[in-house]
Amino acid sequence: MVNKNLIYIVDDVQMQRELLADHLKANMPAYEIHCFSTGEECLAAAKVRPAEIIFLDYNLNSQVKDAMDGIEALQELKTIAPQTEVVMISGQDKIEVAVNTIKHGAFDYIVKGEGAFVRAEKVVFNIYRFHKLTATANRYKTLMILFGIGMVLMVILVIYLQNNGYIRNSPGWY
Amino acid sequence: MSDSKKLTDLSYLRSLTGNANDKMAKYIRMFTSGAPLSVQQLEMYSLNKDWDAVKQTAHALKPQAGYFGAKGTEELLKEIERMAGDKVELERIPAALNNLKTQLDIIVAELEESLKEFDN
Repeated sequence: MVNKNLIYIVDDVQMQRELLADHLKANMPAYEIHCFSTGEECLAAAKVRPAEIIFLDYNLNSQVKDAMDGIEALQELKTIAPQTEVVMISGQDKIEVAVNTIKHGAFDYIVKGEGAFVRAEKVVFNIYRFHKLTATANRYKTLMILFGIGMVLMVILVIYLQNNGYIRNSPGWY
Repeated sequence: MSDSKKLTDLSYLRSLTGNANDKMAKYIRMFTSGAPLSVQQLEMYSLNKDWDAVKQTAHALKPQAGYFGAKGTEELLKEIERMAGDKVELERIPAALNNLKTQLDIIVAELEESLKEFDN
């Protein structure tokens, strides 16, 4: 189970992660935000306290060469916390990079630059709406299953009552 | 130096930080302390012909230059990233790094000058 309203930001460039954290803190005060400089640190935190949303840099090994890269971290995160929505962030504006991250389970892909922070805010809102819609759909699904079970039980009861003569002579039954 | 001749333009960072002096100062210090180190790394990787590392470092520095409105420097970093990533025109990289170093010296000087405004 993920921790609602908890966001992790993973970027090996300090300015990048702090700019995003400051922007989200200022514009989305309901969210608790934590920053990590490596995928390994984030994975350790996600095992103990999985976040609702993770903003994950695609190139996590620009400072430390043998550090886990973004795709590796994404795969591990989706294994340990499948309900966490991971949003990839990268300076790469190549469509194949974006498609690759979505194939690996990312919710969305943001290209670093001037519009990135406003877009991140919109993605948080989209995830909130998506989770709300999913919860509503699940509630309806549960209701439909319970209704189906009720109908089956009703039919079984009627057959039982008919077979045992309780309603054979009742008006409307034959 | 007149504003029109400046390499930096802090208007985007101002809007992003809500013009908060403490945040402006924080990000300027982050850049002025980090960017020269990144340039040193780029020069070292270039000397060692470690083009993947050149690409990664240029890639990481590129958006930061953009946040300070240094569009020309951002483009130059994009070009270095392309050459190192595709391993083409590699002989042009040392000259591009020299150009980058010159631009960053000016940018750092401009940002340190603007720090006086935010530290008050």
